[in-house]
Amino acid sequence: MGFLAASTSITRYRIVEEVPQELWAEILDRLLRNVFKDIDEGAEERSFGWTCFDNMLDTAWQTAPPEKGEYLTFSLRLDTRRIPAAVLKKHCQIALEQALEHMKEQGKKFLSKEQKTEIKEQVTLRLRARTLPIPAYFDVVWDTSKNLVYLGTTQAKIQELFEELFSQTFDLNLEPQNPFFKALNLLGEERLKDLEEAESTVFV
Amino acid sequence: MEIDLYTAEAQAPVLGQDFLTWLWFKSEKTGGVFYTEKREAFVLFLEQRVSVQGGEGESKETAVVSGPMSEMREARIGLRNGKKVHQAKIRMEQDENAWQVQLSAPDFALSGLKTPKVDMKLEEGEDPDARFLEKMYLVEKSLEFLDSVYLDFLRVRLGDGWKNEVARVRAWMEE
Repeated sequence: MGFLAASTSITRYRIVEEVPQELWAEILDRLLRNVFKDIDEGAEERSFGWTCFDNMLDTAWQTAPPEKGEYLTFSLRLDTRRIPAAVLKKHCQIALEQALEHMKEQGKKFLSKEQKTEIKEQVTLRLRARTLPIPAYFDVVWDTSKNLVYLGTTQAKIQELFEELFSQTFDLNLEPQNPFFKALNLLGEERLKDLEEAESTVFV
Repeated sequence: MEIDLYTAEAQAPVLGQDFLTWLWFKSEKTGGVFYTEKREAFVLFLEQRVSVQGGEGESKETAVVSGPMSEMREARIGLRNGKKVHQAKIRMEQDENAWQVQLSAPDFALSGLKTPKVDMKLEEGEDPDARFLEKMYLVEKSLEFLDSVYLDFLRVRLGDGWKNEVARVRAWMEE
């Protein structure tokens, strides 16, 4: 979801390591190395990677560079092909009946489990090639002055995908700012033990 | 610094639920007035929608209550039965500006964050990034407010005064 939208969801992260100075000059190169690749013409189930913050179709950052003031901006694009279950079921049935017919002509009565699995795989692949991927993008804003990163979603699956791709792209690790880590950052390491040992309060 | 990730994972909801439960109490008792670390005043209160949760594993129970704050009796009853605030809709105000966000206790996920309106039309000669920078300023402002009240909570929670504060929360729940 877009950061500029009227209503947005946010997951907060802190970068664990100190960012090496030379990294700032490599941002675009690193994004390009893990750029989103379009799968409209293929049959791949999904594709994900970075794209321009200002235009989800721009994977060359011609619309605008990632830098905006002291922020670095880009988006995580994820395209997924989903075949509706009913469609898959119908076409599997058609293919299985055809295969069975063919078997009967050869004097055989049954399809083996392996044959059925293979038919299902073939049908899935064929249908996938005919299904357009559904595009989605999630904005990423990196506040370089505070070493904080904001991801424009709270979906667990996207968080996981993002954390991995971010680490792979920049060789930096992200710490989710959940109540534990947020507390640790606000109070400092000397309170680690207190936070680890805090028990759930019984108010009543 | 060695951090045990399993402990961190387990402690996050403990702190988050204690915090949101305390925040409901605190914002009602102070009329919602809080201060940032830089001593800037702002108003913060829970509104319309609160979810309370209690129990563990299979006996876990959640009650979601929405309505005007004065009608949040059901959620208050939940608190009296030992439930804690699990998710809350929070409203923040400073001068003429208002923010709204749903905050989740276990992971501090922020959903439906609404900042004061940013005019998306660019004036001639204006920096093309101006509206983005204004939006980020407003987003980070609301995060600063949330961090301030969380720090207020942590100081009491981990200080000597927590026992007394718990007694005050209990008295409020029974009001």
